[in-house]
Amino acid sequence: MSDSAALDGIEVEETMLVRVQREDFSLDEEINRVRNRSRRIGGIATFLGTARDWSEGRDVSHMVFDYYEGMAQKTLREIRTRALRDFDVLEALILHRYGEIAIGDNIVLVVVGAVHRADAFKACRWCIDELKQITPIWKCEHTPDGDVWVEQHP
Amino acid sequence: MTVTVKVFGALKARLGDRPALTVQVEQGRRVRDLIMAIHTLNPEVGTLLLDKHVIVSVNHDIAHDDTELTSADEIALLPPFSGGSCASRRMYV
Repeated sequence: MSDSAALDGIEVEETMLVRVQREDFSLDEEINRVRNRSRRIGGIATFLGTARDWSEGRDVSHMVFDYYEGMAQKTLREIRTRALRDFDVLEALILHRYGEIAIGDNIVLVVVGAVHRADAFKACRWCIDELKQITPIWKCEHTPDGDVWVEQHP
Repeated sequence: MTVTVKVFGALKARLGDRPALTVQVEQGRRVRDLIMAIHTLNPEVGTLLLDKHVIVSVNHDIAHDDTELTSADEIALLPPFSGGSCASRRMYV
């Protein structure tokens, strides 16, 4: 394999580490994507956000996510870059789904690999907290009282 | 110049699911001038912008009131974000 081909392979792989996509994802595949990035990894922390049927005292039948294409991906890439720079971790993957999400289905996934678990846990929590703060993604919950656009999150 | 301003989330719903606004601003104007132009077109959206409840992005970066605009810029109005899977404040439409 030529150097450029090898580099292309790395770039393709890195685009897979930050994604906004309509379709569901496989936890096993995404964890392995991180695991395979370094044989030095000894601990992998994950956060999986799923769609619940209850919010602020109301039933939720399903939800729809809107996002700003381009800016959302750019923001997630920046979060991953900062996680790799500021924490003692070896790899990070961030995925978020858009479109209609059924109750119980996957919404968002963060996977972080590190030499030791403590660093993986810390970086994983930071990534999901930062994602919720700065990523241009919007959630609309469908309830018996009407559609509700969620504006902030703890 | 005429600029197309993308809208998202609750704001898009409030505008009847229109994906963008078309706004006339003069060349070299700044974000604060765009906000006033939007306020003239749609006072409800303008007030959300003046209150910083909705923010402006230019070329995928959060903009400030004095950010300069050109006709080539990609401009968007961003209501508060709510990615992830938990939430508190909400806006009914």
